[in-house]
Amino acid sequence: MDDYVTSGKVYLIHRDFPLAMHAHSRVAARYARAAAQLGKVESVEQALFVNQEKWEQTGDIDGTVAAVLSAAEMAKVRALVKGGTLDAAIDKDFALGQTYRVNQTPTTVFHCKGQTYPYAGVMSYDMLKQFLDQLLSQ
Amino acid sequence: MQSNPFNLRRAIILIGRLVLGGIFAYAGYAKLFLPNFIFWPLFALRFSLSTNLANFAVQVESYNLLSHTGVSFVVHTLPFAEIILGLLLLIGWRFRIWATIVTLIMLGFFAAVVHSYALGMQINCGCFATPEPLTIKTVLRDGALVALALLMTIFAFIEARKPHPWSAREKV
Repeated sequence: MDDYVTSGKVYLIHRDFPLAMHAHSRVAARYARAAAQLGKVESVEQALFVNQEKWEQTGDIDGTVAAVLSAAEMAKVRALVKGGTLDAAIDKDFALGQTYRVNQTPTTVFHCKGQTYPYAGVMSYDMLKQFLDQLLSQ
Repeated sequence: MQSNPFNLRRAIILIGRLVLGGIFAYAGYAKLFLPNFIFWPLFALRFSLSTNLANFAVQVESYNLLSHTGVSFVVHTLPFAEIILGLLLLIGWRFRIWATIVTLIMLGFFAAVVHSYALGMQINCGCFATPEPLTIKTVLRDGALVALALLMTIFAFIEARKPHPWSAREKV
């Protein structure tokens, strides 16, 4: 983030693509979206990713998110999640992902000078750095 | 005793060659070139290969059977070995050697799959690069392929002791 996003070389957009095979993924996406509206998306996403194995089994996303937010923030997040207004944005992301034939997560779609490079799966920072440097130098 | 060219053993050997040879060659290809395959520019192709092998590494690591060095060794050798062995099975050159090696590899895969399934691990099979949860279907499928590999190899050694039907002397 510091090397490329903060320095303005790369514009990063996070999109949700909840997969049907993960029972609680949509609920997790709602909580992350709600946290984003409060400016707390980084800490909430970090908590969700670190504790993924646990909440995948228990479904306790509320408890996972509550551990990193204050009581007041959590109340606002819960209100947003219950409000049902977040699904439209998640569905829009999902539809966009389908146009790129996304079928697994994470999938990263790079856009540079009119070209599009979709890559599914994980990548180390060294690999990503090399690729970004080559893309930016074109 | 003359060997019948159309006997059951030879049929199973041929089926094994085609099925296992094809599966191995495809499995190796899939690990290298799927799901990411952008072939131009060259750095995008390199990135495709790197990300595909990184994905495969995650799947191998999830079995919790190998050290970090072991995972790295498997990731950087297995796809190429699978392609080469698959092609050698299909060609049929020095068949018994490659059939034996393929059977041993299949037994190793099957042991890892059964071990992980028995422990209730929620992981991907890692067989063909694309996400494929490890289920009882995977165990049964791999078991059937191991059985085919064993029969193919055993029958290959049995048939090798008999004269080839096309080179056998004709009865006068």
